[in-house]
Amino acid sequence: MIWENIKLAFSSMKVNKMRTLLSLLGIIIGVGAVVAILTLGNSATASISSSISAGGLEMVSIFPASGQKSSETFDEQFCETLKSSVDGIDFVLPVNTGTSKLRNGQKTTNAQISGVPSNYAALLNYEAEAGSFFSQNDNLLKRQVCVLGSDIANELFPDGNAVGQYVSIFRTQAKSYQVVGVMKSKDPLLSIMFDNFVYIPYNTFTQRFRKVSMVGSYVVRTSDDADPIKVGDSITNYLNALVGKDAYDLFSPATLAEMSKSITSTFSNFLAAIAAISLLVGGIGIMNIMLVSVSERTREIGVRKALGATNRDIMGQFITEAVALTMVGGFFGIVVGTAISVAVTNLVSWTLHISYSSYIIAVGFSMIIGLFFGWYPARKAARLDPIESLNYE
Amino acid sequence: MSGNSVIEMVDVRRYFIVGDFVVKALDGITMDIRQGEFVSIMGPSGSGKSTMMNMIGCLDRPTSGIIRIDGTNTTEFSERDLAYVRNEKIGFVFQQFNLLGKLSALDNVMTPLLYARISPRERKEIAIEALERVGLGERMKHRPNELSGGQKQRVAIARALVNNPSLILADEPTGALDTKTGNQIMELFEQLNAEGRTIVLVTHNRELGMACRRQILIRDGRLED
Ligand SMILES: Nc1ncnc2c1ncn2[C@@H]1O[C@H](COP(=O)(O)OP(=O)(O)OP(=O)(O)O)[C@@H](O)[C@H]1O
Ligand SMILES: [Mg+2]
Repeated sequence: MIWENIKLAFSSMKVNKMRTLLSLLGIIIGVGAVVAILTLGNSATASISSSISAGGLEMVSIFPASGQKSSETFDEQFCETLKSSVDGIDFVLPVNTGTSKLRNGQKTTNAQISGVPSNYAALLNYEAEAGSFFSQNDNLLKRQVCVLGSDIANELFPDGNAVGQYVSIFRTQAKSYQVVGVMKSKDPLLSIMFDNFVYIPYNTFTQRFRKVSMVGSYVVRTSDDADPIKVGDSITNYLNALVGKDAYDLFSPATLAEMSKSITSTFSNFLAAIAAISLLVGGIGIMNIMLVSVSERTREIGVRKALGATNRDIMGQFITEAVALTMVGGFFGIVVGTAISVAVTNLVSWTLHISYSSYIIAVGFSMIIGLFFGWYPARKAARLDPIESLNYE
Repeated sequence: MSGNSVIEMVDVRRYFIVGDFVVKALDGITMDIRQGEFVSIMGPSGSGKSTMMNMIGCLDRPTSGIIRIDGTNTTEFSERDLAYVRNEKIGFVFQQFNLLGKLSALDNVMTPLLYARISPRERKEIAIEALERVGLGERMKHRPNELSGGQKQRVAIARALVNNPSLILADEPTGALDTKTGNQIMELFEQLNAEGRTIVLVTHNRELGMACRRQILIRDGRLED
């Protein structure tokens, strides 16, 4: 019986292909959105955890905000204070950063100038391509030396041989800095970037670029045996108690995970709203098309009843038709949702992680919508009077 | 004519209320039809012939009176039980054929067996047999729109036969056919009757009606003798 009903359902869909497709649009969009939500959620989670485990997880950055509390607290000595106050910290480095114009002969570029301690490169496993990072003496003596990130080096010295040359760094006036090293290219560690930076000794930076003692930012590395997310939380708690949470920004792996979570959840909520509306509209579309189908086939229903179909038989036939219809919609929805997921993951360069459970959910949703919105038209068909239906023109 | 009573009607009335009027489509019909009979119901238009067929065929219920089919009173039957009676005991043939347009001749003939919950294999066997009986063994895969009027009516007759019903009800089965094809269909009914089937036929055509063994004349919802 069910099998016959399914065959009937598909044969009546085939009669009106365009109409069928249009009536399924809502279901297709709704199911597509559900599949996309789950697939993208899956892919996002997988990509975030893989990028976290790829490294950089152990870094926490602190950015003091302007304000009296901040400027009193966040000086160079704070590195030691923080390290001794919070467990699980390997080292804390002060970093000052500003944007400047850089020139070598005719070539100019804008770069991030970073004043860092001389052990910055060693501690962050940042290796030199040519020359070396500046020394402790360079820092103590506030020498005008610099080290170029690989992008900057390529831009100003396309032919190489930067080491030993001079570049001009503009602030209020141009100053000449001798290049002592060019660094290898390095992927960002969380929020810490490398290749588009120029590094100068911390003390040189403070003298030349900065009148205040407040440190621009701190780079914290957590100990290998500590959970970086927990250390991040401890630092947050410590700083909140010390200066209040408005006095600084903190960037940790937890922040990253939270950020991606909030991005994906915004996205998911958006898609879920689309899904809910589309499924409702789609369901009403199904109901509408089924009511049309019932009235078009009134005579058929009369004939079937004359041949011995019970009300329940008729009900079964039309419910099956509605469910078959929504299942076809669900199938197209899965195709559309997967296509959207492929496109979006490509766009934001995540790896696609197909959510097979979303397919099952999609099929289930389609079935429920078919049952729910097909029920009323089917009942209407079942309750038609046989004689009136037979005489229906 | 000594068979058991297939249909028995006792003072059957069917009133329709139309606005302020009561239309007495059947107004106290008492009669019976026995197994193996070939009966024609004749009367002027609007006399109540179709209404009577609907009563016999369990498509409609009487306002009052008793209808027995194979000795069973159906007046108190539920909707579902009436469907079973239609399926098991009645075979309908309509003036407008009423084939299911999307289905092949074979699928049309198989439909009553579907509702009788007969297995697919048996369904097919029995339906093929019925189609062969009406001379359409070659046209089984054809859809109704690929068949002539006479062929359509043969498919309809095969469909009426296929459940081996107690009686076949035909409401003006030749009404939509030309004389020659109509006569062929009548011939088929006569053969089926000769094989022992009980047939009730509504017709306007006096000639066809008189050819049946027995006539029931009806006027204004009452029997005439
Ligand atoms: N559903 C209905 N509602 C109201 N009146 C009806 C209904 N069905 C039939 N009638 C009336 O009952 C009477 C008998 O109708 P019926 O269809 O039985 O006539 P008939 O003998 O079959 O006529 P014809 O030869 O034209 O087919 C007619 O007056 C008709 O108008
Ligand atoms: Mg009539």
